[in-house]
Amino acid sequence: DLGWDAVEKTLLAAVDERDYQLAEHALRILVDKFPGSPRVEVLSGIILENKETPTKALAYYNELLKEDSSNAALWRRKAGILRKLGKVDEAVNELCALLDTFYTEIEGWIELGDIYLSCHRYEFALQALSHVLLLAPQNPFHMLHFAETAYLVPDVPLALKVYLQAVDMTDDDDQDGVTPMDTVPSKLVLRAWFGVKLCTNKLITEPKAINSPSQTSPPKTNVLASLDDLATERLRTAYLETTRESPPQGDTALLKELAKILQQV
Amino acid sequence: MAGSAVSLYLDPQIRDWVLFPITLVMILVGVLRHYVMRLLQSPPKKQPKEAIREQRALVQAQILRATAANSPIPPTFYRSISQGLSKGLGDGSYLKEGPSKKDEAPTPPNPLTDPNAMDGMMSGMKTQMVMMVPQMIIMGWINFFFQGFVLIKLPFPLTLGFKSMLQRGIETQDMDVRWVSSLSWYFLNFFGLNGLYRIILGSDNAADATQTMMASPFSAATSSQPGQPQDFNKLFKAEQDNLEFSEGLYNWVAQDVETRILRKYGRKV
Repeated sequence: DLGWDAVEKTLLAAVDERDYQLAEHALRILVDKFPGSPRVEVLSGIILENKETPTKALAYYNELLKEDSSNAALWRRKAGILRKLGKVDEAVNELCALLDTFYTEIEGWIELGDIYLSCHRYEFALQALSHVLLLAPQNPFHMLHFAETAYLVPDVPLALKVYLQAVDMTDDDDQDGVTPMDTVPSKLVLRAWFGVKLCTNKLITEPKAINSPSQTSPPKTNVLASLDDLATERLRTAYLETTRESPPQGDTALLKELAKILQQV
Repeated sequence: MAGSAVSLYLDPQIRDWVLFPITLVMILVGVLRHYVMRLLQSPPKKQPKEAIREQRALVQAQILRATAANSPIPPTFYRSISQGLSKGLGDGSYLKEGPSKKDEAPTPPNPLTDPNAMDGMMSGMKTQMVMMVPQMIIMGWINFFFQGFVLIKLPFPLTLGFKSMLQRGIETQDMDVRWVSSLSWYFLNFFGLNGLYRIILGSDNAADATQTMMASPFSAATSSQPGQPQDFNKLFKAEQDNLEFSEGLYNWVAQDVETRILRKYGRKV
């Protein structure tokens, strides 16, 4: 009774490996055991997508959705195929309709944001990501993603605040007696501090950067200077700990080196 | 006449042939009822996506409001989502049939004519039938076979008012009310076997007597199954008010994050 999950996983693995014989064998087992199950329909659709052309799979999904329009999984796959086929407009429409009905599909919202990012519509991506934040407010990864997208809009004051919020979410005061000052930033926290530095740098050097489509006010000059200082210090600490070398002077050099480190992770 | 000091001596055969059989029969009938209910219940009907959308429209607003006091999103985003939702809820674009026409006021769905509500009421009535019929049969059986004698002595005292109900068929005026007939044993079992059913059948059992009794007066009026008779229009209007209220207590969590961070890292603010 517990093996059916494994059969499903085998099917998906077989499709990944393009072993369609095994995949169809697994599918037959599932169809025999669970006839008419919506989950099995999705799996047969997945096989169709990869074995035959995506267009055939699209027709298959459309037919199934006509009978039972409430199957969220089928709808998701349909939107996925539309994106794969390059029909971005339709994909976006389908996804928006899906998310209006099934609001809590976080991955759907992230996918929508991704589609917008790929089309360089950063404001729309930001709106999609705002729903992700509402649905998972405790997740610092989403906060970071939001900040990075905000930076691209470009909305530097907003990005700065959200990067700082991401930092705030990930460092606990006095965790095990270690103050935040003494920790070494790594991975997510390092990316967040990197973002903070990028923003403060831009705000200091480019006067036009205070333009904020979301009407976020930039920090006052002294606060900005303190933040810049703090961010630089954090980044230098991280650089020192990872490379055991003395960090370079100057902002641009520091940022460049850290970008290299971040890309390696 | 002597009161509670006198104690009657009951034939042990009464215990063997009445007490245990009644209990056994009731347990078995209860288990049978549970399985019959399970077979009779049809799986919940699939709903079209418009219906699902209507039901879940409130969830969107609730998620937005849940974090309003420490909201992760900036004010412009919060306001645009809140106003968009408020408008959508108000002009009926989330209703199943789409926005109502301008001239007629939206009417709450009439439970008698709405086919989905009918199904709900049918299944409710079926439940009650399955519950009632075995009760009647068992009561009749007990009355027929097991009347005219005293079965047990209740461990707690009762007032004289209960004599007529609990000592049916025994024409003594002075006997203590604590000596009762088999029908009252039936009632005791009826209410008491709940606990036993919970152990045997798990807590979600259909043999639960108290649940049926509580459900019957209310199930016709406010059935809370898939929400068909619920008036979504009113719910949406209420949610609009809630959204407005939440906008008042909205606060962005990153509003003062600069000062917080600087303080945390020991910088002068």
